[in-house]
Amino acid sequence: MSDAANNKYDIIVVGAGPAGSMAAMAAAEAGRRVCLLERKSKAGAPVRCGEGVGFKGLTLSVEPRPEWIKSTLTRARMVSPSGINVEIKNGAEGWILDRERMDAGLAAMAAEKGAELIPNTPVTSAEKLPDGTYRCVSAETGDAREFTAPCLILADGVESRLARGFGWNTALKPGDIESGAFARVKSKDIEPDCCVFYTGSKAAPGGYVWIFPRGEGEANVGLGVIGSRCRPGLPKELLLSFIAGRFPNAEVTDLHCGGIPVARWTRPLVKEGVMLAGDAARQVNAINGAGIAYSLYAGKAAGAAAAKSIRPNGTCDHRTLTEYHRTWAKNYGKQLDRSYALKEFIMSANDAFLDRIAESLSKEDPAKISYLRVFMRAFASKPLLLLKAFKLFK
Amino acid sequence: MTVVDQKKCDECGTCIGVCPQDAIILGKALRISSEKCTSCGICVRICPFAALSTDGGKSK
Repeated sequence: MSDAANNKYDIIVVGAGPAGSMAAMAAAEAGRRVCLLERKSKAGAPVRCGEGVGFKGLTLSVEPRPEWIKSTLTRARMVSPSGINVEIKNGAEGWILDRERMDAGLAAMAAEKGAELIPNTPVTSAEKLPDGTYRCVSAETGDAREFTAPCLILADGVESRLARGFGWNTALKPGDIESGAFARVKSKDIEPDCCVFYTGSKAAPGGYVWIFPRGEGEANVGLGVIGSRCRPGLPKELLLSFIAGRFPNAEVTDLHCGGIPVARWTRPLVKEGVMLAGDAARQVNAINGAGIAYSLYAGKAAGAAAAKSIRPNGTCDHRTLTEYHRTWAKNYGKQLDRSYALKEFIMSANDAFLDRIAESLSKEDPAKISYLRVFMRAFASKPLLLLKAFKLFK
Repeated sequence: MTVVDQKKCDECGTCIGVCPQDAIILGKALRISSEKCTSCGICVRICPFAALSTDGGKSK
């Protein structure tokens, strides 16, 4: 029986999101036999994401296709709890993506490079076999199917369930996850080039509401509520009432929900022949919940290390896999650690404090306001936090 | 134990991310293991769509 009929691979990737598809693409490009297992019938749907990404973060890892980009953002506005506007206008910095197209496109690119994309395959269990290889079982769709390989990349999203079987404790504390709701809104009141953020405990306790215009009178409107301040159904209620107030008579479609990890990235990222990538590894910016660029980068690095680790006899050199952890830690790890530390500060800020910052920033030149400036202003009134953060920045 | 209302569930997996017991599986649909679930309620509170509820362990 051939290896293909036996479902034997060099590398198994679980989850065809941005991290999983990049990993499969990188490993297949290097000539490895790769399978990419996806729970759903196709990658990318439904979209559980604001779809915003910075130019640099995206293009660092992949050349975006024109059809992946819905619109370009040239300005932003932050609205404080009592309604003070802070305008930010320092040039085009980001895109709104079509995640459905991008995710499907990335999975297709992985398949073009030779990875075997296998949809409708929820992996129900994964384990290490006595010979040192790993077995994934999909036992939910008719006959159980098995896949084995000496190297396993888990990119199974916010659930990160399979990692637990290999000794990682990936269960998130309620303070380390945002409970999110997402919708598409069609309305004549949408500003085409401006993303808007609403903060405050009424809008989204421990999180924020976003409006990301995607062109043609349509926007992604969504929010996250920190898990520790959530109650059943609150994100959906808050989102629908926000939309009703801000965009009366709008057409609302694609209402979905999802969790956004705002935790420290998982350490270690590699154990023996198993690697974690993307939301499964909590590779997300804890301040704003951004994760696309990090997932692309991590997936690519994990896939490259996995490809390099396969020996001529088909076994996996576990030490080579740890290159992925080091590459990640060096290039993004520290940055995300700082964001996580700053999240603590954001969470501790009450509405009156957010209003005071907005009040002082609203008098500044919109072209000169940056994230950094917002934080410096915030720290100026909480010097103890500055001290704490300084330790992390040095 | 905790039960899922399949009509409300959007299959997003947020509950799985916070479950301390690894009691929830997302296959074709969301399933909660009656053996593993301790009715701690963390998943119930975090569900964005209020699809989970707990009956206080009566049905276990």
